[in-house]
Amino acid sequence: MSAAAPLRPLARHSINLPPTVAARASGAPLAPKLNLHARPHGSEHHGHAHSGPRHDVAPRWAGGLSLNNGALRSKTFVNAAPTIPSHRTLHTSAVVSSDANSVPDFSAYKAKSSSSNRALSYFVVGSAGVLSASSAKSTVVDLLTSMSASADVLALAKIEVEMATIPEGKNVIVKWRGKPVFIRHRTADEIEEARGVEIKSLRDPESDEARTKKPEWLVMLGVCTHLGCVPIGESGDYGGWFCPCHGSHYDISGRIRKGPAPLNLEVPEHDFNEADGKIIIG
Amino acid sequence: MAFANAFYNSIARRNSVFVSSIFASAFAFSIGFDVATTSFWDSWNKGKQWKDIRHKYVEQ
Repeated sequence: MSAAAPLRPLARHSINLPPTVAARASGAPLAPKLNLHARPHGSEHHGHAHSGPRHDVAPRWAGGLSLNNGALRSKTFVNAAPTIPSHRTLHTSAVVSSDANSVPDFSAYKAKSSSSNRALSYFVVGSAGVLSASSAKSTVVDLLTSMSASADVLALAKIEVEMATIPEGKNVIVKWRGKPVFIRHRTADEIEEARGVEIKSLRDPESDEARTKKPEWLVMLGVCTHLGCVPIGESGDYGGWFCPCHGSHYDISGRIRKGPAPLNLEVPEHDFNEADGKIIIG
Repeated sequence: MAFANAFYNSIARRNSVFVSSIFASAFAFSIGFDVATTSFWDSWNKGKQWKDIRHKYVEQ
């Protein structure tokens, strides 16, 4: 084409086409790398010269009329509809059958009898309740068992004393859990004396019947209730025990009668084994 | 069917009866479970426990 070619006007068309954006499954348009914070030119520099292209005029590469070698050329870019692959899942392409909207037939899955079904449901619930109640009970029992003393500790915590070795009217001192224990085989006179005391007149009112399981055997801790000395037997003003530290007098039932001690001598838990003739303390 | 109805009508219909029968069955179940596991243990360890060999050492 020579330079003398005549000018040929060309028509320019503007076509509005729908934007070529992909859409997410939710329908929101997908516009990657779209910067919504970009500002138009000149808006922040008050009209100063700017080196970039004008924002209100389409750039040359975007189309338009141009003169090239004496010939007008119109460029028009057409945005074609996107050929973006979209999801076609199986169900969208399923053949729609005629009874798609009707309820399927579940009769094969239904229980044969509603009453036996109901009984089965209650039975399952009840069985779960039985198992959980049983396991909860055994958990609680095991926890409480773990708190109690074991058999070897219990065996060490008891002592046995032969009753036949203690004659009437004699004291025996044994050691039990690190403390002395007085055992007295009382005579009939001493029992009568101990039971004849007016209880209301005592500092720590306690009957002799409450302190002894068998009246001829008096078992009590040999620790003075004042400051913890060991009283001396068969002495004192009342024929029982006398604490030499501060002068507490105990009677033949081990009750405080005179002196600073506030309480009677403590009676430990004890029992009698008649078959073997033993006193078991503890 | 008849058994299911009898079960429902006698036990599950009233909640008080249901819960109390659950507790009673739990009591019976725990005893039975203990007996069963203990007898299994004894049969599994037959001849090894003190009660099996006691007669060899203690004469009464």
